[in-house]
Amino acid sequence: MPAPSEALPAGRLRRGLTEPLLPFAALALLAVAAAAAQQTVLCWASVGALAGYSLSGSV
Amino acid sequence: MLFSPGRRANVRQGEVLAVFSLGLLLGGTLSATVLWLLSGFAAPLPRTVRIGAILVFAVAGVAREAGWIRVPLPQNARQIPREVLQYRVRRGSLQFGFELGTGVRTYVSASAPYVVALGLVLAHQGPLATILTGTAFGAGRAVTATARYASRNDEWDDRRVARMPILTNAIGVAVLAALGLLYV
Repeated sequence: MPAPSEALPAGRLRRGLTEPLLPFAALALLAVAAAAAQQTVLCWASVGALAGYSLSGSV
Repeated sequence: MLFSPGRRANVRQGEVLAVFSLGLLLGGTLSATVLWLLSGFAAPLPRTVRIGAILVFAVAGVAREAGWIRVPLPQNARQIPREVLQYRVRRGSLQFGFELGTGVRTYVSASAPYVVALGLVLAHQGPLATILTGTAFGAGRAVTATARYASRNDEWDDRRVARMPILTNAIGVAVLAALGLLYV
């Protein structure tokens, strides 16, 4: 039988903060903002992070 | 797989995550270093041709994710053996992360990593921008494991699986938008 803390669903705040779409939204905004400001290094780094996040496999 | 119980029960999951993430960063950095070296071959091409090709690949990435075109991906169609994580937990997590971080040791099913890799070769930037992009690629992969760990709930995997079609499509569009805005 699992421990009580494991059986409880994640809190609403924790659930919201770990929403899988949230990292995408943050990185996409960063990439587009960096591109608009012609910050090449930051733009490419954000795009690279997005590419890595697109491979959300089972870990 | 990374956070499964069993032999790893006596090693803290946070420690496993940290070592795994370090491996991802190192793997991404190594692959980007190779891409930077390869980008020298693109240097003789006119800038307009290189930029045009980057944007064509980015559009193709969006079209592939949307299912409008079929493009077979030259991925390494194998899984990293489970044995990597079975015996030496810290070293295994580092190796597992490193292999995933390189992006060439296992499945790469989304279009965005190919768009970025080809883009880095064609853009022929300085070493900092190229290598940092590879490190960020590893960090992007680490976000998945970190969010999964932070959620403290197995149900996170179900949410991730449900969002994957939206995520891969949206990431393709975001990559196209960012690179388009940067270069056009």
